[in-house]
This record gives sequence, C-alpha cells and structure tokens, in this order.
Amino acid sequence: MEDKLLVLRCKRGRADALGRIYEKYKKDLLVLAMALLNDTSAAEDVVHDVFVSFVRSIEKFRLTGSLKGFLLTCTANRARNVNKAKCRQGVGLDSVEAVDSRSDDPPCSIVCNEQLGQLSRAMAELAYEQREVIMLHFQAGMTFKTIAKSLGISVNTAKSRYRYGLDKLRLLLDHEVEE
Amino acid sequence: MNPEDRIKGLISTSDVVTGPETDTRILGEALERLNLGQKKTPLACPEPNIWRSIIKSRTMRFATVTVVTGLMLFTYVFVSTPKSVVLAGVLEKVEQAQAYKYKMNMTFTERTNPEKPMVQRIEGMITFSDEYGTKLETCEKWEADKNSDTGKVTTKIRYRLPKRRLDVLIKPDQKKYRWTKLDDDSTAEEKEHNDPREMIKQMLHCEYTNLSRSVINGIEAEGFETTDPKWTVGMTEHFEGVRVKLWVDAETWLPVFWETDMRINEQMSLRTVFYDFQWDIPVAASDFQPVIPSDYTSMDNYALPSMFEEEALKGLRFSVEIFGRYPEKIDQTSLASDPYFLRNKENLTDAGLKLKEELESLAPEQSMQKAMELSEIVQSIGVFYELLVKAGRDPAYYGQTVGPEDIDKVLLRWKQDNGHYRVTFGDLSARTVTPEKLAELEAALPK
Repeated sequence: MEDKLLVLRCKRGRADALGRIYEKYKKDLLVLAMALLNDTSAAEDVVHDVFVSFVRSIEKFRLTGSLKGFLLTCTANRARNVNKAKCRQGVGLDSVEAVDSRSDDPPCSIVCNEQLGQLSRAMAELAYEQREVIMLHFQAGMTFKTIAKSLGISVNTAKSRYRYGLDKLRLLLDHEVEE
Repeated sequence: MNPEDRIKGLISTSDVVTGPETDTRILGEALERLNLGQKKTPLACPEPNIWRSIIKSRTMRFATVTVVTGLMLFTYVFVSTPKSVVLAGVLEKVEQAQAYKYKMNMTFTERTNPEKPMVQRIEGMITFSDEYGTKLETCEKWEADKNSDTGKVTTKIRYRLPKRRLDVLIKPDQKKYRWTKLDDDSTAEEKEHNDPREMIKQMLHCEYTNLSRSVINGIEAEGFETTDPKWTVGMTEHFEGVRVKLWVDAETWLPVFWETDMRINEQMSLRTVFYDFQWDIPVAASDFQPVIPSDYTSMDNYALPSMFEEEALKGLRFSVEIFGRYPEKIDQTSLASDPYFLRNKENLTDAGLKLKEELESLAPEQSMQKAMELSEIVQSIGVFYELLVKAGRDPAYYGQTVGPEDIDKVLLRWKQDNGHYRVTFGDLSARTVTPEKLAELEAALPK
C-alpha cells in the first residue's frame, strides 16, 4: 500500500516520494547491480539510469506488482545491457576488478561491505547468465517461471543456469574460506 | 550449511553505503526531471540543457530554453545547396575550430504589468572545446523584478564534461557546488545543441539577406540577417517576431558578433548578443577541471534533511490550523494518506470546519482526491521523521504532550552532522542547541 501511495505521489511530482523510494530500495538495487557487474561505478550508473527511466515513464506507470520487484527487474535489465555493451567493446566485466572512484571522478562513490565484496568477486567468476538467474531468484525473490519469462528462456534453462552457477559458487566460496 | 543458504546469507548481509554526494549523483537527475514534470515547463528539449542553468526565473527560463534549445535542436542535414557561398564558407571556417571562446549578454524583459516591468540581464563567458566540453561563467542580475529581487546578483560557473559524463555547477556566492551525472542521451545532445555553430547551420536553412559592410568593434565585417519564421522551427512557443544578425570578419570569415531579438508577445522579449569571439584558441585539460574550494558544501538538495524539514513544518502548521493541535503520533501508519481525511474528525478549528464543508460540497471523486492531497500535507511530517530515523539522526517527537502554546518546549529534535541538535519548539520556531542544552530542555517536558 505504501508503495502505491509513493508512486501516486511521484506522479504528482513529489520529490520527497521519489526520495523515499530511493531510500527504501537503493541498497537492494545497488547490491544487485554490484553482484551482476562487480564494478561500483557501473552499478551506480545502472541505478541512476533506472531512476531516470522510472521518472520518465512515471505518468504512464501503473504498479501492478511489487515496486521492489519492478525496480530490481529494471536494474537487472540495465545491467544486462551494460554487460553486453562491455562485451561488444571487448572488455568483459568478468575481468574487471571492482573499482572505486578514480582521482578525476567525483570524490565519493558507493562503499561496499566485506560480504558484498565477497559476493561480487565470486559472482564475477560465473557466466553472466548464471549470476543473473541466481540474483533474481535470491534477491528479487522471483520464481524460475518469472525469471524465464523475463529473460526469454525456458524454465529448465533458468533452473540449470541456477544449479550450475550455485555449484560453482560453492566451490569458489569454499576455496575462499580455505585461503 | 548448504550453498543456497550460504548465498542467501551472503546476499542478505551484503550492504552498501552511499554518501549524500553519491545519492545526489544517482538520484539528482531523476529528481530534476520529476521537478520539471511537475512544473510542466514546456521545454523544447526534454533533456537538461546548459542554458537552463543560467536562467533564474521560470518565465525567463522558459523563454530562453525555448529559444536557445530550439535554435540548437535543429538537426543539420546536408540536403540543399547552400544559399550563399559566403555563409557556407563561414560555417566551414567555424567547424575547423577545435576550441573557442565568446562572451554573452542576454536580456529578458517582461512587461505584463507596465508599472512593474521585469528585467533580467545575464552576462557570461563561454569556453567550448571539442576535446573537453563546455565551461560557462555567468553573472545574473535582476535589474527590475516584481518579486523584490531587484539588484540581486548571482554568479555561477558550470562545467559540462561529456567525456567524464559530468555536469558540475559551482555557486561562489553561496559557496555551494553540485555534481550531476550525465547519461548518454544528454551527453550526446549536449554535444549537438550547445554549440553555437549549429546556429549558423540553421541560418543556412532560412531566407536571409546580406547586410552591407560595417565596422563592428573595430573589425570590418559583413553581415547576414534573417527574419524568417523558420528560425523558430523546433520551438514549442509561438514567436511573434524574430530578427537575427550575424556579423563575420570580412577577412577571416569568422563570426565576430551575433545578435538575436525574439518577441514572444507584446509583453515579453529576449535579446541575446554573442561577442568577443576567440576562435581556435589553445585550451588545456586544466581549463575544464572544476575547482571546488574545500569550504564549499554540496547542494545536496535531496539528501539533506533540511529540505524535508521545511515540508514537515508545513505539515505541523497545517495540522494546528485545522485540528488546533499537533498529531500525537507521526509514524507512517498513523499519518497514511487518507481519502476520507476530515470526514469523521471532530473538534476541528473554524478553518478545519470550513475545509470539511468544502470537501463535502465536492463530487465524491474530487472530494477524495482533494482529501488525499490535504492528508499528504500532514503526512510530510512522517516522511521527515522516517528519514531522520533511517539516517540515524536520533530524532524524537513530543506531539502528545506539547502544543502550539508551548513556545519553550521541545516538539521535535534531531541530531545534526556536528553533533548538535536541531530543535523545533511548540511554536514551530527552531534552534540549534548543544546536547547538554537539549538534555535540559527535555528534562522540562511534561511527563
């Protein structure tokens, strides 16, 4: 109910409502973007774009499900585009180290805690498609059916990406603990 | 622990911290767009434009944005044979310049009320580089203003740095600055639209005449003039008149003076002059490196509680106005938006009763809509309080025991960055006090 009211207030141009939506979900969105991209700057860009896009379409926007789910899906979609663009440029995100702000960039950036660092590092070792399914399932709470529909793949493919990804993650995390 | 639980645990404990500047970078543009949408300012260009930043008044902003972005929105297509070899030659010369600089003088006059005309003048220096971006230094002055801003002067320095995807605004008068992230669209548009070279391209598409040679600022110059309404193509506003004159150095074929007079209607006009052009100048990266002194603070217009404090005070004031008291609780549940606001309320003030009658006189749908809007005014207190809680600002609210008559009693308090407390008293006056003073004030509260 609260989200519906916030959306309604956003439609009326209320900055405080948009601020509340951001405060409420920024952590989830940034964690998802970080886990998918392993790049603080790119994660920030993605969430920035999600909110700009949200405001752009606010007049026509109808909240039919959960706002959090909607924003997380938008974040995953944007992150996928970023990943594709990077791949086209020949810079696989998998090979990119997590970077904080450079000296010529704005002075502050998002700061990740140890767990998020560990998560995004481990995720970076997986194929992007596997990360995406794992995060959408765990963080966005989406069913495999919904994920499959959202990604345009079969439910079985979604499940197998999840399973293979999880197996690899287990090995990676075990290895990290041993080290 | 199985891998699923481990991953779940890792995700649930993953966290990020964002400072106010990061929040502003992420959300600033969305807020700005929301704000523009709310004002329904009819912009010719949907993206933020550098020219908008130099204009203070909404009217002026509207007029100028319409004019300037309209001029620059024109997409140049090499479709027709140029009408004048000379003007096409000017364009060719200008396009060879990798960096240039010019001064600007813009005057907006509004005479809606003949007794109180409004005049705003903006003087500025623009440095443009294909390599680094744009630097705009302006000084805005209200020579006459119906809102008592007459004589007010504001200086601003703005950097648009497409390669770094940054827009940086510095207000030396206020010792404030703001970083805004540019997205791909606005970066691309900036490249196309904030380059006065586009204006020459546009002139080529208009009917124009050659002016006889003249000496402009000591330079022998040849002029071109257009009054073609096509000049306004792309603008959302109808203009009753336009006159554009471009003067170019007769020897170098580079522009030396540009004047544009636009008449929006009988009451509103805008005159823009570009002069002192310096073409193909050397520039360095350091010219486009924003310098922000250490004592400047961020114009963090979203994250700072002060913005919401103002809204919250409005809510508290409104509550007293209609209920004669402050809300007892200010959590979100207690203050949720209510389509039946005032319907079953008793003990209303005269103003509250009047408002209630007004609501009852409306059609049901309108009444609910209006009631929602009114309840949201009160709800802003809860929004503010929740923000304070989330920000760890140690807030406390005493609406149950403190009323409007309690001028020296703490109604609301929250901790500031410097460790002191912002205290709002029963009469809604506010003061910043030390923690010790706060303890003293709170000890005096009714039990």
